[in-house]
Amino acid sequence: MSDPQPIPSCCGTAPPAPGGSNPFVNGLWKQNPVFVQVLGMCPTLAITNSVRNALAMGLATTFVLASSNTLISMVRKLVPKQVRIATYIAIIATSVTVVDYLVKAASISVYKALGPFIPLIVANCIILERAEGFASKKPVFASLLDGLGMGLGFAFALTCLGSVREILGAGTFLGVPLFGSHFEPWVLFLLPPGGFISLALWLVTFTTFRQIKARRAARAAAAAAETVPAGQLVEVRS
Amino acid sequence: MSTPVPPAHAQPSMANAIRMIRVLGVVSLLCGVFIAGAHVTTLERIRHNHEVILRSSVAELLPGATREVIYGVEPSGELTILSDIEEGGSRFFAGYDASGKFLGVVVEASGRGYADVISAMYSYSPEKREITGFKVVDMKETPGLGSRIGTDPDFLANFKALDASLGHPITTVKHGTKKNPWEIDAISGATISSRAVGRMLEASASKMAPVIARNLNRIEQGN
Repeated sequence: MSDPQPIPSCCGTAPPAPGGSNPFVNGLWKQNPVFVQVLGMCPTLAITNSVRNALAMGLATTFVLASSNTLISMVRKLVPKQVRIATYIAIIATSVTVVDYLVKAASISVYKALGPFIPLIVANCIILERAEGFASKKPVFASLLDGLGMGLGFAFALTCLGSVREILGAGTFLGVPLFGSHFEPWVLFLLPPGGFISLALWLVTFTTFRQIKARRAARAAAAAAETVPAGQLVEVRS
Repeated sequence: MSTPVPPAHAQPSMANAIRMIRVLGVVSLLCGVFIAGAHVTTLERIRHNHEVILRSSVAELLPGATREVIYGVEPSGELTILSDIEEGGSRFFAGYDASGKFLGVVVEASGRGYADVISAMYSYSPEKREITGFKVVDMKETPGLGSRIGTDPDFLANFKALDASLGHPITTVKHGTKKNPWEIDAISGATISSRAVGRMLEASASKMAPVIARNLNRIEQGN
């Protein structure tokens, strides 16, 4: 049940966190925890067999990220370095326990569907990574935005996976049947292999998209460079 | 974490240690307060959710029931009326319609399925000595295969009038070979889950049906 080690460059193309950009957009898109950083794979694969579960898990994680980031940023100057990880874990575990109660209060059926994955949010490496990598160094408001951005980015990614799996695997979206009674559900997509397949498809889509964008940017930069030292470039081309 | 050794100008290590203990102590205390607060504020709501789910399942299995009485079964076989739906242990629900007529009972049953414990509820008519309805409450059976025990209309049709008079044990038979009223026609492709249902109904009915039969007068009056 352990999450993969946080290896930020595991998909080869993850750019380093740009310092100046808006932390909210950064988490939601540029550094999307699932599609770019490929973190938190355990819940990503396990509970995305329906859109409802994916959304619930995403929002629960968002709550934990936002609250733990905010609290950690508030205490960041008071905590001695040696016990900072222990303090972060205590704060994260508290947020997770609170979320556990909140989900139970909101809906028992969602709580049952998510099973052990709500308590396991505490082990989701995105959370500790954001605590150590962002909230422990940045002011409170920026940390809150970062937590919200990362959390909603996670929720967005889970919902993407959940949509593919629920539509193909059950023929429904949020429980509403999409096709007639003749639709034969592709049950594979509700089973674990379907999680891997749809994750792979989404990762391919996102990586291709990013590569095209990077190539276009490189070409634009090259074109801009071409116009200035024109003499040299003619030689290169021939 | 490769924490660097504190620089030489740091305070004596004793003071450092006290500071760490203080910070961790205060943080843990505050965390405890938060958790306790969350627990207290959501307690009533969670209880309410459990109750709604149970009551709606009972109403689904006993159509027309407008009032339920929860009976707890003591180890001695004695019945007690439970006022709190949260109270666990062995129990069943007796359902009555608007005029107070006794309709039947709903019993909870659970048993080991293919993936995890299947928990379910079934309605039992003491008068006909039959199981009259079945509903899966919680399961983790394989989606699309075992999970059909909760949705497959042909499978659920087994429980419209399943003989639970205990003359013969309730058994699950291979798909398409059901001949007797105490047999359950398995779902082909979900034999293990189907068998689990048969086993848990047999175990539960053989335990509860005699208790219910013994106390039938009392249950019919709802006291």
